[in-house]
Amino acid sequence: MLNETLLAALGEILLPSALLTAGEDTRPYECDGLTLFRAQPLAVLLPENEAQVVEILKICHAARLPVVARGAGTGLSGGATPNHDGVVLSLAKFKRILAIDPLARTAVLQPGVRNLAISEAVAIHGLFYAPDPSSQIACTIGGNVAENSGGLHCLKYGLTVHNVRRVRAVLITGEIVEFGGDALDCAGYDLLALINGSEGLLAVITEVTVHLTPKPREAKVILAAFDDLAKAGEAVAAIIAAGIIPAGLEMMDRLTISAVEPFVHAGYPLDAEAVLLCEADGTPEQVQTEIDGMCALLEGNGATRVEVSQNEAQRLRLWSGRKAAFGAAGRISPDYYCMDGTIPRRSIAPVLTRIAELGREFGLRCMNVFHAGDGNLHPLILFDANCPGDVEKTEAFGGKILDLCIAVGGTITGEHGVGLEKIGGMCVQFASAELEWFHAIKHAFDEGDLLNPGKAVPALYRCAEMGRMHVHRGQVPHPDLPRF
Amino acid sequence: MKTETRQDPDVVAELVTRLSGDFGERAVTTHAVREHHSHGEGLADAALPDVVVFPHSNEEVASIVRLCHLARVPVIAFGVGTSLEGHVAALYGGVCVDLTQMNRVLEVNTEDLDCRVQAGVTREQLNAELKGTGLFFPIDPGANATIGGMAATRASGTNAVRYGTMRENVLGLTVVTADGRIVKTGGRARKSSAGYDLTRLFVGAEGTLGVITEIQLRLYGVPEAIQAAVCQFPDLASAVNTVIIAMQTGISVARIELLDEVQMEASIRYSKLEGFAAKPTLFFEFHGSEAGVREQSEAMQAASDEFGGSAYQWATKTEDRTRLWKARHDAYYAALAFKPGMTSFATDACVPISRLADCILETKVDVEKSGLTAPILGHVGDGNFHLVVLFDGADPAQRERAEALAKGVSMRAISMGGTCTGEHGIGWHKLDVLAQEHGEAVDLMRMIKRALDPRDIMNPGKTVPL
Repeated sequence: MLNETLLAALGEILLPSALLTAGEDTRPYECDGLTLFRAQPLAVLLPENEAQVVEILKICHAARLPVVARGAGTGLSGGATPNHDGVVLSLAKFKRILAIDPLARTAVLQPGVRNLAISEAVAIHGLFYAPDPSSQIACTIGGNVAENSGGLHCLKYGLTVHNVRRVRAVLITGEIVEFGGDALDCAGYDLLALINGSEGLLAVITEVTVHLTPKPREAKVILAAFDDLAKAGEAVAAIIAAGIIPAGLEMMDRLTISAVEPFVHAGYPLDAEAVLLCEADGTPEQVQTEIDGMCALLEGNGATRVEVSQNEAQRLRLWSGRKAAFGAAGRISPDYYCMDGTIPRRSIAPVLTRIAELGREFGLRCMNVFHAGDGNLHPLILFDANCPGDVEKTEAFGGKILDLCIAVGGTITGEHGVGLEKIGGMCVQFASAELEWFHAIKHAFDEGDLLNPGKAVPALYRCAEMGRMHVHRGQVPHPDLPRF
Repeated sequence: MKTETRQDPDVVAELVTRLSGDFGERAVTTHAVREHHSHGEGLADAALPDVVVFPHSNEEVASIVRLCHLARVPVIAFGVGTSLEGHVAALYGGVCVDLTQMNRVLEVNTEDLDCRVQAGVTREQLNAELKGTGLFFPIDPGANATIGGMAATRASGTNAVRYGTMRENVLGLTVVTADGRIVKTGGRARKSSAGYDLTRLFVGAEGTLGVITEIQLRLYGVPEAIQAAVCQFPDLASAVNTVIIAMQTGISVARIELLDEVQMEASIRYSKLEGFAAKPTLFFEFHGSEAGVREQSEAMQAASDEFGGSAYQWATKTEDRTRLWKARHDAYYAALAFKPGMTSFATDACVPISRLADCILETKVDVEKSGLTAPILGHVGDGNFHLVVLFDGADPAQRERAEALAKGVSMRAISMGGTCTGEHGIGWHKLDVLAQEHGEAVDLMRMIKRALDPRDIMNPGKTVPL
């Protein structure tokens, strides 16, 4: 419980309805999309303007009260998991689109604007906001910046960091700062890149200017079925090596197809071992050239069926299954654990084969649905939290998958961030000089370690503990590890 | 310009002796070599380093920096010295680390479309070595700069409108830290969301946080078809408005370059361009499939027709195209040759494309008022343009007017939501404008600089005012 003085100070800034302290009111905030970790905060604060954010942070700073900023709570690595001795600062009320400049192709947004709402608002100008994480109906732009979110189309259009021009934010001391600028470039150190993916550790974002992309005149998607995962993996490598940059290049395995198809009726072949979705967009001529090129490569690599969308309705239907994959996992299993790792594209087939073997060893099913063009895996381990031992087995299985990613020269997170989930892995991934720099940067922004403490960047002492944990798992640190 | 000394001359002398012992002929103290390493292009305000060392490996760079760390002597990384804002001047003396002998392409991964190079590889050398792989590296500042220098200054070029700048194309780095450790940042993974983005922090840090020794770069497939065209306009406004419309409608152009009538006159003379008038001109290039290129160029012609642009003159043959872009890359040298005997510097600015016409046209009025010759040119598809200011270096009043003109461009760009530098960087010439652009954020930059380089030995006096 917050002490009386703090409560009174916060009550001066916020209406009672925007200051939640009762257990039943704060419970919905106890976790984000990673439900394995939960903690109830002392209070949840719901400011509605920047001046309130400034005052709140000043109070927290003076009282040394930890603050976790939160958008829609769709994050998958526990980045918004509260601290039991701190407060949650929800930006849910920052929902306004402040300006759209169709000529400069930019939009100025409050952080609580939903990702999809941006594209909807600028559609009349023939523009869209390109990064589209699967949770785009719900997730907010502020959260996207904090996590440097990707999405189905980031292969061609880049991650959040490539599509954000300017961020306005409040430091823990209450100072307002701006990073980047409205133009394409900006002078001095690239603090904008530091804020992207900083997981709420550096500042609380209050305004974001995004770069908008002209809507391609046409888009078509190819559905390619394979009777062998290895062949599908080869086809992905062949497309990229041919210099084609598809607008989307996604893979689903047999278990995913069988989970998705009965609900979505996307028209996926149930007998395939793997399905690839390859999208081309641009002008009709460009699309045709790319589609022809990709079809030839898919067939050349042994696709058993290659089908090109004939109209927009069919294109959307083919994608609907991919976008519904996570929901489908929830339907066929009481719980699932979504992993996130990136591997070299050429290792896709052996890694998937090994994951299937591990699944049999642990007695757990694992769906594979992922951004194949980036080699960004999202294995979904299906389990039942009420079944004794399942949680432990799931974590162990997940650990094995990450070890596997590292062993083939990959990394332990592609787009979901570190949060709480992978904080141990950071000690393995990064050399000590880099960790020191991380701390130096954190120190420059937030000397007292009050913004989202315990996430993303492990305290150095923690690395020692994690080192033991990794040995316990039978894992030796990899000295020549490729880093992010 | 005089070099200011912060360290006891005996300490520096001892360090130079030590380096001479370690590096032999690769540690040079002759005046000619030190002078050559005392300035970039642009204003010739030279500041000489005490010694120039030519390392061959990451370990050698680390050993130099470790010695400098212990002796608290400045370290200035040097490529081929084509930076424009005084980045390489040894303001406080010290050790210049010339990386040009670290010039190997270490690996090319054709399957993954990336490569790893040492910092001293130049962009033309890299593309020559990529010949035959079907891949190329698109970033092309005018000069044949080193990749290390381009990363350090976050360089850009004529292709940025399609391929981005160094910010988008550096995947990872090897950096020697201020205390002489070798650290790898980033890597080959196409995405990552772990930890702060150290790679991008070092890209554009102008050697003030560490010495970049290796760079992992993104590569691109050579397009199936390339088509270049030139279009001339009755006035500057029409040319700029064509660019704005093209960008807004999303015509996919790989290069779109503006040369005003003054620059065009200089380039016609210098590069012997035939069949063109000294009028505001756009150079275009389209990349893609045969059909795609045709489609895009037709859409562009339609846009320029609206603003009274001339019929397109096509450069279809490779040699014609090369000549055209060579002329564009040589624009700075053409401007210099335009007024022999004059001194010059190039300034650059970048604004949101919706403000580009206002910014360029107001700048043009300023140029006319100043009475100086100052061609305008630029990568206008990005909202980025340059002003080459020519003046009589012997006349202090002219120099003052020239600097005022450049400052005016910076301030105007900032007031329009833009930046005082789109690609040349801050160096020390633009230090004072940085605070205008970033306000409180400069404090954060300062704290990062102090944290990563507590002894202030990495290229001191540049990029961030301490």
